[in-house]
Amino acid sequence: MPIDAPQSLGPFRLRVDPARAAAYSRETGGDAASVPLSFPAVWLTDPTLFDPVRSLCAALDVVPVHESQSFSYETPLVAGDSYDVNVAMRREETPPRLVIDATIAALDGKAVAKSETMLRLVPRAGFGAAS
Amino acid sequence: MSDDIKVGDKLPETVIGPFDAQALARYAEVSGDDNPLHLDDVLAARIGLAAPPVHGMKLLASFEPMLKGWRPDFTLVGLGAKFIQPILRGETVTLSGRVLRASETEIFVRLFAHGSARTPGLIGEATLRRERGR
Repeated sequence: MPIDAPQSLGPFRLRVDPARAAAYSRETGGDAASVPLSFPAVWLTDPTLFDPVRSLCAALDVVPVHESQSFSYETPLVAGDSYDVNVAMRREETPPRLVIDATIAALDGKAVAKSETMLRLVPRAGFGAAS
Repeated sequence: MSDDIKVGDKLPETVIGPFDAQALARYAEVSGDDNPLHLDDVLAARIGLAAPPVHGMKLLASFEPMLKGWRPDFTLVGLGAKFIQPILRGETVTLSGRVLRASETEIFVRLFAHGSARTPGLIGEATLRRERGR
C-alpha cells in the first residue's frame, strides 16, 4: 500500500564501464564477453542513486533488506556506452517496503531496459550497527 | 513449442560455490554493495545467522551463464527473483530451473537456488527470446 507520493530522480547519465562490467561478469560466473543482464545492479549502488535510499532509511531508523529484483530488456547494454537512467521510488506500508523502479534509455531516447528493486525496511533494532 | 523444449523440462543443474569471505569481499567491491552484513561475522551472528549471507544479487546473476549455456540460440531478456532466505558463506549452491511456458520464440523458466536448507534461498524467473534469423 503506498503511503506517500513516488519520488522521481534523474535522469542520471551512467556509463557501462567495460572493465567493471567484465569484473562483474567474472564474479558472477560469466565469461566477460558481454555485459551481464544484471549489471544495472551496480548502478543502483551508485551514490547518486542510493544516497536518497540511505537518507530515507536513516530518517526511518530502518535497514534495507533486498527482497526482490527484476530486469527486463528490449536491447542489451553495450560496454562503453552511456545511458540515461530515470528512477522512481515509492514507499509501501504493509509490509514496510521501498520499491525502486528504474528505466534505462539509450541517448537517442529508445527504451533499453527496466528494473524493479524491492527493499524490505527492517527496524534497525536487532541489526546492531548495520547500514 | 520451441524445438525440443517442453513445458516441465528441467534445466541441467549447476553447482556454484562455496563462496568464502574473499569471494564475498570481491563481489562487494565490484558491485558496490557494501552492506556489512555480507562481510561481518559478528553482525551476521547478531541476527541469528551462522555466517554472513551471500549477496542475493550474486546468486541471481549466476543464473545468466547457466541460461546462456542451456540455450545459446536464445537471448536472455528477463531475469528476476525473490530472495526467500539467506544462503550463507561456505554453503554449496545448486542452481536449477524448470520450463513453465515455451513457444517458437520465447521460453519462460522458473528458477531455484538452494543452499544447504531444504527451502530455496531464491525463487526466480527468466525469459529467453529467440533472436530473429536464428
